[in-house]
Amino acid sequence: MSNYIRVCDVEKYYGNKSNVTKAVDRVSFCVEKGEFVGVMGASGSGKTTLLNMLATIDRVTAGHIYYENTDITELKEDELSEFRKKNLGFVFQEYNLLDTLTIEENIILALTIQGGKKQEIRQECDQILRLLGIVDIREKFPYQVSGGQKQRCACARALVNHPRLLLADEPTGALDSRSAQTLLETFTDLNQTMGATILMVTHDAFSSSYCNRILFLKDGKIFHELVRGDKPRKIFLQEILDVLSLTGGELSDVR
Amino acid sequence: MFGKLAFRNMKRSARDYLVYILTMTVVTALMYAFNSLIFQNDVNQYFELEAIMEVMIGLATFFIVLIVAWLINYMVRFMLEKRSGEFGIYLLLGMKKKMIARIYMRENILLGGLSFLIGLVFGILLRQVLLAVMFSMVRMEYHLKISFHYWTILMTILCYAGCYLLALFRCKRKFKKMNIHDLMDEKRRNEEIKENGEGFKRLFLPLSILFILSFWAVFSGLSNAGEIALFLIGLVVTIYLFYMGLSAWIICYVRKKGNRIYQGQNLFLLRQFASKVRTMQFTMGTLTALFTLALMGASIALMFSDYENTVLEEKFPFDIQVNSVEPMDDFADEIEVIEENTEVQKLYSYQIYTDNQNQVNSWMVTHLRAWGTMYQNKDGSPNAKKIEKMLESEGVYCTYDTYMGITDYNELREMLGYDKTAINDGEYLVHIKPRLYEEVKDIGKDLQIADATGEGKLSCAGVFREPFSQDGHNGGDYVVVVPDQVLERMTPYYAELAADIKGEAPLGLNKKLDALTDDEGRDSTSHVVPELEGNSCCGSDNIISYAAVNLVRDNLIPEVKFMLASLIIPLFYIGLVFVCVAVTVLSVQQLSDSAKYKFRYDVLAKLGLEREQIHRLIRKQLGAYYLCPAALAIIISGKMILSMSKGFVIMTGVPVISSSFFVKSIALFFGIYAVYYVVTYIGFVRNVDEKGR
Repeated sequence: MSNYIRVCDVEKYYGNKSNVTKAVDRVSFCVEKGEFVGVMGASGSGKTTLLNMLATIDRVTAGHIYYENTDITELKEDELSEFRKKNLGFVFQEYNLLDTLTIEENIILALTIQGGKKQEIRQECDQILRLLGIVDIREKFPYQVSGGQKQRCACARALVNHPRLLLADEPTGALDSRSAQTLLETFTDLNQTMGATILMVTHDAFSSSYCNRILFLKDGKIFHELVRGDKPRKIFLQEILDVLSLTGGELSDVR
Repeated sequence: MFGKLAFRNMKRSARDYLVYILTMTVVTALMYAFNSLIFQNDVNQYFELEAIMEVMIGLATFFIVLIVAWLINYMVRFMLEKRSGEFGIYLLLGMKKKMIARIYMRENILLGGLSFLIGLVFGILLRQVLLAVMFSMVRMEYHLKISFHYWTILMTILCYAGCYLLALFRCKRKFKKMNIHDLMDEKRRNEEIKENGEGFKRLFLPLSILFILSFWAVFSGLSNAGEIALFLIGLVVTIYLFYMGLSAWIICYVRKKGNRIYQGQNLFLLRQFASKVRTMQFTMGTLTALFTLALMGASIALMFSDYENTVLEEKFPFDIQVNSVEPMDDFADEIEVIEENTEVQKLYSYQIYTDNQNQVNSWMVTHLRAWGTMYQNKDGSPNAKKIEKMLESEGVYCTYDTYMGITDYNELREMLGYDKTAINDGEYLVHIKPRLYEEVKDIGKDLQIADATGEGKLSCAGVFREPFSQDGHNGGDYVVVVPDQVLERMTPYYAELAADIKGEAPLGLNKKLDALTDDEGRDSTSHVVPELEGNSCCGSDNIISYAAVNLVRDNLIPEVKFMLASLIIPLFYIGLVFVCVAVTVLSVQQLSDSAKYKFRYDVLAKLGLEREQIHRLIRKQLGAYYLCPAALAIIISGKMILSMSKGFVIMTGVPVISSSFFVKSIALFFGIYAVYYVVTYIGFVRNVDEKGR
């Protein structure tokens, strides 16, 4: 078993004694370096909670999460933000770009927060802009560009610091199918060329068909796991849909 | 149902706009307290001043109503903007526009009514404090008396309602014009940053700085009203252009990718600040203007209050002093009145003499800073013609020089508790107002005063500067003291009576003395004033000059203090309200931003900023935002206040450094500022740290 990222018996409860909701119920799994893992499940299945705990935004009620040898459940507030800065990148459904900054500046800010020389920052920034194909819109403000472009900018910002793990929460949720496809192809590309480790939460079968491996979550528990292996994406998608239909999942998501 | 909706919305708005409510409460309290001075001024009854206080406060109220109306209008529009999405939904649900407008108005009126009621309670308390301060200013005892005056309340309600009417009227029009799309879109529109012509616009920054620099350089030299008005208009334009230029300059810098943006969170700060200033440039300009006015008001008030606390006490060294233009007056009537009303320790009547020349007067008008080179020829010699005309018409000095015998002088010194002095037959001395000592101490070198024989010259034995009642009584500004025998070749000029009494003079003694003269030549305080012709004068005091024929110290000091209070109190009133209004706008802006743009800080946290780093960022951001209009206001008002206070110190002789008023009012101002800054910071951090929502 690799020890890149290990989630061990993680539990998360909400509410007080008389009224407890188990959002995540004894979940354990591992993520290998360079893997593209998807987490699927219906609304309320606990997938975002799980992601938030991995993202150090939320704390576990019980259990441990190891990034190699670091147990993030033991870290203090300040150590956590330091950890976040060095190891994690985020892409969210609502893009979360800073509206007062241009596309390029959004990426520069992520770099300056890490601290670095002007020349290096310029270089890194140019490189990632080119990689994600958003060089043309670098001078534009977020409100001036399309959703897909915004999301690619968010990816660029997340990846520019070479994080150990890229966390994506419904990244295609607000995109049209064309943009979604482009983004997912970008993810696959990044995964394969840069060797980026990605954990993506989604309820959309199409999106998850781009992953290497999918964890299915229901009522806070992992109830199934699918590995793509060498299968073509179309067949993998069919398998995903089969699993979903077993659980009465969301067929309407099929595109 | 709609009432309930309005009430609930108000409850929510109240939480969101706590700072606004706070300010409205403070404004109500101030309004009530100051209005009460118009209708139930307990101090007023002791002074027959023709409603100076009332007029001044009325005037202040006028400006305050305007500014508060601006604040309300600003807040109402601001809230409307923030809640436009919600109103759009109401419209979608089928509510009529009129109905929504009505709900919104009702909400605002509830909000206003609430702060009014709270403010009223504080106002009644504040009134007590204000009256206590005023009574102690005029040295009377004040007994706490909680009272409720209908006129005051009515006036306060009228002012307050006036503010609201002015504000809501404009808002209603805006409501009428809106449609669903606009309402739903309003929020988004707010976030758009339109950047065009920045390269051109940024020139406004150096231009406005240049203008302000030239303002500093030229202001003291401005003489006629036209030039000053022109400069002031330029200043107002400059203030507004400054912000346009500032924001454009920052944007250009960021675009150019200057070195600074690669350090820490500078990029975020600069962009944030630039976009805020960009969308708020007009408001920022107005705030700067408000701050400038507030600073100037506070400085002027401080000048007068300093005067009142230092110089005023020295203005009336004698318990009672009476002047008569008849050189041979025996003061029989006056002495009778004084003896009837007080227990006299000593009465002394004497004459001021003149040699029918004006060499000392000429020396004064050509050497004192107050006149500069006004009465000099181009080569620096005195312009005799101009001086003669001035002495005859302006009443600053008597037409001829004023002298006093050494015996009289020593009698008066003894009465005041000063050491007696002696001069030889060939000597004279000069007694001068304390404030003029530095300028006059070398006068002995220039004066040529003939001795008793009229052939030899007297030499100067010194210049004295104790308080000596020199506003037309013992001379104007100066009196030359000569050996008694020298007086024999001079003529009596006018007569004086000085009295030393036991204890304090009774209230109204001054009035009784005034009643001995006929009704002509009274001033607004119904005191007898000198005619300021020939042998009567008032000295070179300016700004505050108090010349009267009869001086009863214990009556006059409170009266002058009361008069000054009518200036000081409204000025402080205006200053306070202006500052509060301005900081409220700043605070509310930032607080609502902190809720609206909470995600920005969430993003920063996800990018790996620690909590403490984010808090520091917020402190910096708030600091820049708060400091900018304040700093500009300080720079602009600085020149005006400094040259004003310099003039004030020269003309009144307040024993302080002239910049102290400026420094003090800045300190006062930053006190209020700091309170709002801290409150805003706490609210801001709470909004940002709040989970969820």
